[in-house]
Amino acid sequence: MSPLLRAGLRAFEVSLKNRVVSPWTYLNWIAFPLILASVGLFVFSHSSTPGHDAYAALGGGLIGFWTSAYLDGGNSIGSERWEGTLEALLAVPTPIWVVMVGKITAALLLGVISFIPALALAYLGFRIAPLQIDAGPFLVSFLVLTFSFFAIAMAFAPLFALWRWAFSLTNGFELGVYVLGGFMFPVDRLELWLQRAAWFVPPSWATRALYHAAGQAGRADYAGWWARSIALSLVCLLLSRLLFRLVEQNARRTGQLATA
Amino acid sequence: MNAHLGAFARSCWFQYRAMFNWATPIGYLSYKLLQPVGQILFFTQLGIFAQGRSHALYFALGNAIQLTAINGVFGVVMTVANERQYGTLPLLLGAPQNRLVSFLGRATIHILDGISGVVVGLIIAVALYGLDLSHADIGGLAICIVLVSFATAGLGLMFGSVGLIMRDVMIVGNTVYYLMLVVCGVNIPVDRLPHWLQLVSYSIPMTRGIEAARLAVAGQSLERILPLLAGELAVGVLYAMVGYALLLLLENRARRGGLQEAY
Repeated sequence: MSPLLRAGLRAFEVSLKNRVVSPWTYLNWIAFPLILASVGLFVFSHSSTPGHDAYAALGGGLIGFWTSAYLDGGNSIGSERWEGTLEALLAVPTPIWVVMVGKITAALLLGVISFIPALALAYLGFRIAPLQIDAGPFLVSFLVLTFSFFAIAMAFAPLFALWRWAFSLTNGFELGVYVLGGFMFPVDRLELWLQRAAWFVPPSWATRALYHAAGQAGRADYAGWWARSIALSLVCLLLSRLLFRLVEQNARRTGQLATA
Repeated sequence: MNAHLGAFARSCWFQYRAMFNWATPIGYLSYKLLQPVGQILFFTQLGIFAQGRSHALYFALGNAIQLTAINGVFGVVMTVANERQYGTLPLLLGAPQNRLVSFLGRATIHILDGISGVVVGLIIAVALYGLDLSHADIGGLAICIVLVSFATAGLGLMFGSVGLIMRDVMIVGNTVYYLMLVVCGVNIPVDRLPHWLQLVSYSIPMTRGIEAARLAVAGQSLERILPLLAGELAVGVLYAMVGYALLLLLENRARRGGLQEAY
């Protein structure tokens, strides 16, 4: 096994253990998905138009999954900074992005659990009818969505190390991302200026595909949606690479990254 | 009396400065602008998608008022509970300052900042969704906003005191903030909630305040909304008193056992 792969796996393992005992993880896994799913389910349950079941059932889980990816995963570099361990992390021979890949993958793996409480509430609490899922496209869409979450978390992570205000900024606009990502309602129902903004958000294309595969009406363009989502995610990964390089350069030049 | 007032004013100012010491202007503005825009956009678009454009204003107004909880819950809880997290609790308990003055000082500027947050939210609701305030009883609406901010800060004081014996009280703060979106009539009319949840709704701040604000925006007079406002005030005072009693209780225990940070 190569040393980088071993380091990444170790980061994944330790990160997974840390998260299992962190109460914040449970907030993201259980509390957020349940609360936001219940708002959606209550609102949809008094809707006169049909066809909202997929959004009601999956929306809360998607929100929890996203929150785990970018807050728990992406911001874990911010935690290193706050706890004063970022300098040590930068001093080891392993590139920091390898460690972050392990951490974000662990967050994503646990984030999938967010769907369980949200789906349980939808099916048991609100008696939503089982979704008619087209299994193949649904699975691929979910994988593409996961990749897009991973790419955004990787792009955000160095920002949290570079600038103190980055977390406030991203945390402040968290609910805005739910809008642009199309997590609980379709992006094409938004105002035109919001739709245009959503074009540049990688998960928005993957969620279109996901909801379509979960029974939403309309013309499917799976290949186009997946391609756009993957292309934008690759741009995020490229950006991430540049920003991580900037983090390492700044850390070595100024030695000030760990000062919160 | 003057000494107490001076201590109160200094306490308010320093606690607020300390609270935002970590935030750059960009960070502060993101909480004052980005979060309101994001929250109002998300819930109003959800409402439009589910129930049609005619319901947009219900969601926009409810969320604009609820924004005061950013200060009332997050801000106040952190101001009280951070004393323990940053190791200053023993100094606070050792100081000869009047406890009530110190305790209430933690909420005062957050109440004012919370009011400004609601004003920002209303401007966003007017700009994005055309919230019509032309028939509103503006005076009544202003009183609603002040009282909701006050009552929410009372809830924050109580959870802040709980934070003195709990490690991750911001988890409770986050949960309370988001639960308010479900149970306080922000996005879901309270009468549509299950009966047991309605009891929860009316036992916490904001529910009556938002109901009163909706009536004030619809042009109802102050006399009509007065009972709701009185209820909102009473709930806020009650929570602040429980919080203060809890603080005194914990202080007494801490003095006897020297355990202020060992819970």
